[in-house]
Amino acid sequence: MASVNQDNVPGATGTAPSKKSQAPAKTADSQSVLKRLQSELMALMMGGDSGISAFPEEDNIFCWKGTINGSKETVFEGTQYRLSLSFPNDYPFKPPKVKFESFCFHPNVDVRGHICLDILQDKWSSAYDVRTILLSIQSLLGEPNTSSPLNPQAAQLWSNQEEYRKMVEKLYKPPNA
Amino acid sequence: MENHHISSESEEEEFSDRFVCCMCLELLYKPIVLSCGHVSCFWCVHRSMSGEKQSHCPLCRHPYNHFPTICQLLHCLLLNSYPVAYKKRELQILEEEKKTGYFSPQLDVQAWSSQANQDSNIPGDSVSKELSASMQETVFDSYNLNNAIAVSRPADGGDYEGMENVTEQVKYPLLSQQQSGSPKQISVADVLCAACKQLLFRPVVLNCGHVYCESCIVKQDEEKIRCQVCQSFHPARYPKVCLDLQNFLIEQFPKELAHRRDGVQRNHVNPTTCEGKSSKEAEKSSSGSYHRGVGCDYCGMYPIIGDRYRCKDCVEKIGFDLCNDCYNTSSKLPGRFNQQHTAEHQFELIRSDIIRGSVKDNE
Repeated sequence: MASVNQDNVPGATGTAPSKKSQAPAKTADSQSVLKRLQSELMALMMGGDSGISAFPEEDNIFCWKGTINGSKETVFEGTQYRLSLSFPNDYPFKPPKVKFESFCFHPNVDVRGHICLDILQDKWSSAYDVRTILLSIQSLLGEPNTSSPLNPQAAQLWSNQEEYRKMVEKLYKPPNA
Repeated sequence: MENHHISSESEEEEFSDRFVCCMCLELLYKPIVLSCGHVSCFWCVHRSMSGEKQSHCPLCRHPYNHFPTICQLLHCLLLNSYPVAYKKRELQILEEEKKTGYFSPQLDVQAWSSQANQDSNIPGDSVSKELSASMQETVFDSYNLNNAIAVSRPADGGDYEGMENVTEQVKYPLLSQQQSGSPKQISVADVLCAACKQLLFRPVVLNCGHVYCESCIVKQDEEKIRCQVCQSFHPARYPKVCLDLQNFLIEQFPKELAHRRDGVQRNHVNPTTCEGKSSKEAEKSSSGSYHRGVGCDYCGMYPIIGDRYRCKDCVEKIGFDLCNDCYNTSSKLPGRFNQQHTAEHQFELIRSDIIRGSVKDNE
């Protein structure tokens, strides 16, 4: 048997799927990705989680916009952040690309919105979904990993929660403003 | 418990949340039980496997190296419990398979139910030659995929007139085997242990897909667990109880199970699992050269570590490969992807120079 995933076997030998097969394979993939994303959307809308939300962009179900509210009793309380999620053709076998759209002053988020979170990289599992991703990012806000920061300034300030809160307030731009 | 429902044009059928695949979020189709006891669809498991290094259960991250065989018992259970929804899934997956050119194994439900207790029952083995041959014909030779898909569309409405009998058999094995769309009552006879032939108590599923009571799995000290039905080795330590199946049985047969529990507790001390050793084993198996994205069609090792034997005569796109151990044992197991492999086919030895550990993780 060989791998049926398209980008999984760059140097596969012998029986690997031939190149001409890739176009139809893609069609089937997008179909099942579509179904899965539709199920997720349904569940999100029925679920009514407070503090997170997500919805596909107009006429492209592979690109979603999400929002996260800072959790209570953290320095991010009262703030809201917008994120973008872009899903690959082999989702959920590969993670979506997730970025902050609004500026977020956080040790594990860089100025361009990139997030350093293991479940979005090597610890990704096909059982994760939009909901668990957003909830994970929400809890990352309150519990950063300051040992390998993308934003060293934020990591340094984290120990002083009072000052950190002031910084968050100073830099915060409400998503709809 | 919450229920999912599938709505089709004419009918609706509810199925339990526990039978929703964690990856495609749909009703499990051709279910595979990992040795941690978690269940997913055939294609979902295969596509979530690494092909390059050790794979991990999407739910609990339990490590594994072998692609398990479909659990035929669970397959029949789902088909009988949710015939409409399950057949809808069959059509859906078949369309996808026709598009990709990769096929999951054909399972003969009738043969399974009639010989459920016979030793000869190996998943997929009972597929008739005739069926296999016509499968090959329709799928590999005609290549008229668009046509085939167009024909399958009216199937949603249940109208198969005008289709040849043989093709119908091949394309809709489940539909032709059980025409009535009403759920069949599950009886104790459908959920028996392969060893003690009693109602499954704390069911575990081996890599070959056969189901046993946890207490019926026995092995000698350092030996591997061997399936009593198909004689294949279970390439890991003791499998964990499949809780989804266990909870289903508790719901269906509360009295019978209470009775079974008393019996098992009197006679048996549960085997203790040693996790420390299992990680040592995994370490051992992860050394040496491997074949990226290529798996063994007998034992399911994926990727193949060590020597690889590739069949030169199998025409299927997925290929047919064996690991060194399986090449040297004369096994009669069918291919994992419905390949029409026969004993006359010739193999070639392929060595790999990709060494584990020397490959850097891109992630």
